[in-house]
Amino acid sequence: MQHIIEMVGVSKIYPGGCVALKDINVKIEKGEFVFLVGPTGAGKSTFLKLLFREELPTRGQIFINGKNITRLKPKEVPYLRRRLGVVFQDFRLLPQKTVYENVAFAMEVIEASPREIRRRVPKVIEMVGLSHKMNSRPHELSGGEQQRAALARALVNNPDVIIADEPTGNLDPDTSWEIIKLLDEINKKGTTLIVATHAKELVDAMKKRVLQLEDGRLVRDEERGVYRCET
Amino acid sequence: MKKEGFTAVKLRTIRYFFKEAFVNLFRNGWMSLASIGAVASALIIFGSFLMISINFDYIAKNVESQVEITAYVEDSVDKLKINQIELSIKSLDGVKEVVFVSKEQALEEFKKQVGEELLEGIENPLPNSFRIKVETPQEVAGVAERIQKIEGIEEVKYGKGVVEKLFKVTYWMRLMGLAVMAIFATISVFIISNTIRITVFSRRREISIMKYIGATDWFVRWPFLIEGMILGFTGSLIAIALLAVGYSYLYNMVKLNVPMISLLPLKEFNEYTLGLLLMGTFLGAFGSGFSIRRFLRV
Repeated sequence: MQHIIEMVGVSKIYPGGCVALKDINVKIEKGEFVFLVGPTGAGKSTFLKLLFREELPTRGQIFINGKNITRLKPKEVPYLRRRLGVVFQDFRLLPQKTVYENVAFAMEVIEASPREIRRRVPKVIEMVGLSHKMNSRPHELSGGEQQRAALARALVNNPDVIIADEPTGNLDPDTSWEIIKLLDEINKKGTTLIVATHAKELVDAMKKRVLQLEDGRLVRDEERGVYRCET
Repeated sequence: MKKEGFTAVKLRTIRYFFKEAFVNLFRNGWMSLASIGAVASALIIFGSFLMISINFDYIAKNVESQVEITAYVEDSVDKLKINQIELSIKSLDGVKEVVFVSKEQALEEFKKQVGEELLEGIENPLPNSFRIKVETPQEVAGVAERIQKIEGIEEVKYGKGVVEKLFKVTYWMRLMGLAVMAIFATISVFIISNTIRITVFSRRREISIMKYIGATDWFVRWPFLIEGMILGFTGSLIAIALLAVGYSYLYNMVKLNVPMISLLPLKEFNEYTLGLLLMGTFLGAFGSGFSIRRFLRV
């Protein structure tokens, strides 16, 4: 059985000696929905950065779709990232581009044909429920709408995995709930999802697999888990 | 994973690169103007030094080409022997041109220099001689030595000592010209890379997003390289226009007031400025490539 993501004995020590991750062993199967939880500084961000090769592990191997990504040459990295969609807490949309242009941009970057772009972009924007704001610029949108646009951008190239770093960190509870439900819908269509979050209620309500990090160690890996931060 | 070199870029993508480059140029209008101004002023300074240094070289070459050997023939040698001597000088390596100057011609020339009256009624004391030009002025001493060895040659003169000094001066002039050019080329690169760094810096967020989405380094780099090339090209265009005007003014002034110095002709100078245009464009690309390097590491 091939796992879509597999980490074997992964440690990350930053220059200066700060230990961010210690001996992590994780397997994630295709189509899973995984929450990554833990207090600030526990290593969640590093975990995600290792997945899209922003950082290299100090020790250990990381496999995505069976390919060892720690061995990629720098010029192969872009092609890895095209298989992954990334969503950030601060959305990271281009302010001078409209929603449509922001999403289309992700396809232009990988040199998709204009016809394909015209066909695919409106579909994806509709999928995240933003059709009516297609020609608005990010500053004209609410936080929730911006995150939907960012999700559309992450989705547009049909990635195998979507990696979301605190996707609801800047949103109020109702909007957060909408975004999580949207993520769940995307997951049900077959995309693997890894979501780092602080949002206890969301994790508890979703009953998904939970990976808990503390001081760089994986302290809990539970199917249908809850947040359970020492109460 | 599919691999693709930047050589396999699609036409559509090239259009995108140029569009991005121009959009950025106009979006950062004032910044662009400042960059063009910086390139132009750096290249004007550089060009002025180039102008001075190539004229040094030109004048040095002129002076060097005037170096010649005079070989005096013994008085006892007859006409036939003189022809033989001329042939043996011509057959020497490094000899470019041999001119025979007879006693009579020499006297005529001498008269012209000192005035006819002074030499009235005196028997011609001057010997027959050859004036020899060499192919490379630096070889003059060796050639002179070999001519000396030919039978029938009484004496050889080539300005020994003076010639060596002259070569030393022209050598240092050239070396200094090169050094000054190298320094100003470095300064130009520095100014351009600094100004483009500011436009790159203002777009670092966009660059990092592109990298997260999976853009290749070359995809990110090209619009900036093109932007840099346009800045460099425009700046150097302004610089060479001003230099050409300045040089033609200088050229005419020197021609009018100091006729014994001949500067590099205008047409040839303009060929150098064409090189300056290429250099400005290249410096622009190099400067932007240099400043974007850091932001690609995501």
